[in-house]
Amino acid sequence: MNNAFPEILQCSDMTVLERQKAPLQRQQEQLQQQEKQQQSYFSELRGVFSNQTSHVQGLQGGLLSGDSLLCDMVMTPQAKPDPGLETARSELGNIDIAGMGFGQCGYVNGPSFDMNYAIYRTSSCPPAVVAAAVATEGVEAKGKESVESEKLGSAIGRESFKKRKADKLHCSKVVAEDDSKRIKACAEERESKITGPNTNKSSSSNNNNKKQTSTETSKENSKFSKVQKPDYIHVRARRGQATDRHSLAERVRREKISERMKYLQDLVPGCNKITGKAGMLDEITSYVQSLQQQVELLSMKLAAVNPKLDFNIDNLFAKQLFASCTTTFPTVGMLSEMANPPYLQFNPVQQVVSCREVEMGMGMGMEINSPDMALQRTINAPLSIPDASFLDSSCLAQFQSSAAWDVELQNLYNVGFDQEGSTTPFPSQPFTGTKS
Amino acid sequence: MRPPSSLRQEFLKKWMMGLQRYSTSKKNMSILERKKAIKLSADVAIASARNGTTCWSRALIANGYSKDGGDDKHLVEQILGPESERLIMKKVLTGGASVCNKRMRSKKILKRSCGIQRTRKFAPQVALASSIAKRLVRKRTQILRSLIPGGEFMNDVTLIEETLDYIISLRAQVDVMRSLASASELASEP
Repeated sequence: MNNAFPEILQCSDMTVLERQKAPLQRQQEQLQQQEKQQQSYFSELRGVFSNQTSHVQGLQGGLLSGDSLLCDMVMTPQAKPDPGLETARSELGNIDIAGMGFGQCGYVNGPSFDMNYAIYRTSSCPPAVVAAAVATEGVEAKGKESVESEKLGSAIGRESFKKRKADKLHCSKVVAEDDSKRIKACAEERESKITGPNTNKSSSSNNNNKKQTSTETSKENSKFSKVQKPDYIHVRARRGQATDRHSLAERVRREKISERMKYLQDLVPGCNKITGKAGMLDEITSYVQSLQQQVELLSMKLAAVNPKLDFNIDNLFAKQLFASCTTTFPTVGMLSEMANPPYLQFNPVQQVVSCREVEMGMGMGMEINSPDMALQRTINAPLSIPDASFLDSSCLAQFQSSAAWDVELQNLYNVGFDQEGSTTPFPSQPFTGTKS
Repeated sequence: MRPPSSLRQEFLKKWMMGLQRYSTSKKNMSILERKKAIKLSADVAIASARNGTTCWSRALIANGYSKDGGDDKHLVEQILGPESERLIMKKVLTGGASVCNKRMRSKKILKRSCGIQRTRKFAPQVALASSIAKRLVRKRTQILRSLIPGGEFMNDVTLIEETLDYIISLRAQVDVMRSLASASELASEP
């Protein structure tokens, strides 16, 4: 991988296909080298790995996007008679790649974070395999490149803060770093953003320069590699650099910091042009300060708007929903009118709740038994419900248990968050007259 | 990067749970009191979304817990839920501040004793530039530490990780609060 950089830099006018084929071959060679290295602790990780076959399934499914052709490509780099890899390969081979129910947005949804992170965490071979597979796929479909590197980037960005949720192995962070580094390098190669890994190495070598206590010259190393074991970290010294423990430990620490600063760069807007720790730290502090000030302002605003701190969510968001969704749910108006008369004398929240339930049942097209029950409950025992807060909490609790809550919240988030700042005038609705 | 909607939903749920405590209380609060209540319940809610796994969330919960007035303790209990509250408060009260404080203090003493010998004997310009850069970085890390809740107890690496997490949670918080504020405004229109 490292040998490829100067060549690729020179051949800048190669076509994308050629450019991708060149690193692919080197990656295959490198893959074999890596597999040899990882064979020793693969046996250790095998136990964990077997638990994660389903996760690998998901990852491969998400990344390979349903192409069974790639299944062969994935398998070929592994055609090596290593006994340590036998079981791993068989596990990979048993994966039903053809039947991918895992959606493309596996990276985006919450539950798959742990899955993806588990893969990065537990074994370093599949990410390398995946990188090769990703590279081969790039040969086929360039259009998907940006999506996948984005997914990889977002997965990498998310694994950093989701890592605490699945922290089983001792070397989790170090493995994840290395894998993400390798994947990042491969992905960047694929997209011909070669400067990324180069600047990474050059910047870390510059940092080394600043902090060397012994007299040596630092050169760009061609065989920089990091090998992890569960007990302790092997760090190979770069060519021509200090090998004493302190500088090695310092270098590890510095690289950790710079890795995380890169994630921060993606997160904080406007940080892309800034290089160097001090400037980025400045941006980060100003961003955090602005966010905190926004929270203060918004809480003040909310306190001013609400004299009694009674946020009837249902009321509020139902109005927003109705305001924006009246066109999509034309029958709701009728139903709401039907439901309206019996409740005219009661708390408006009840009406809203019941009608919203009805609307949910209609508009979402989902079979929800609980809204019907709640509707009946509100019909049957309107007088026994004393105050709105109880209903709020009960409905909240009930909605929390049903899937409708999430769907509706998604809906209203799409509505609310996308329409921030826009004041949509309310069309005349049945509720405006009854709001107390 | 947009915070995941699951985070926002969880925050909203817990925040509303916390606010309900105030809505059921009989006293009329001034606007400042209301604002404090809103902010406190929002902070505890967003911190509890991390379930005690991050340092800043524990520090936020500790802030909410130690304020005077038994109200806030009950607020924390309500938001966190009884069983997780016990776990988290255990972590917060026993694990956290004292141990980290001692560690930081001893580190500082060690650095001060060893750091005197560590200056390099190079040409003055080079040493000056690098030491200026280091000083800048150190100053700004100090500022960042003061911003992140519980930042005084973290080392550099942890600080940056916590900042990442904190930024995402803050964004989620701001998103939800902004949408609630705009919805309230629309709802209160005559």
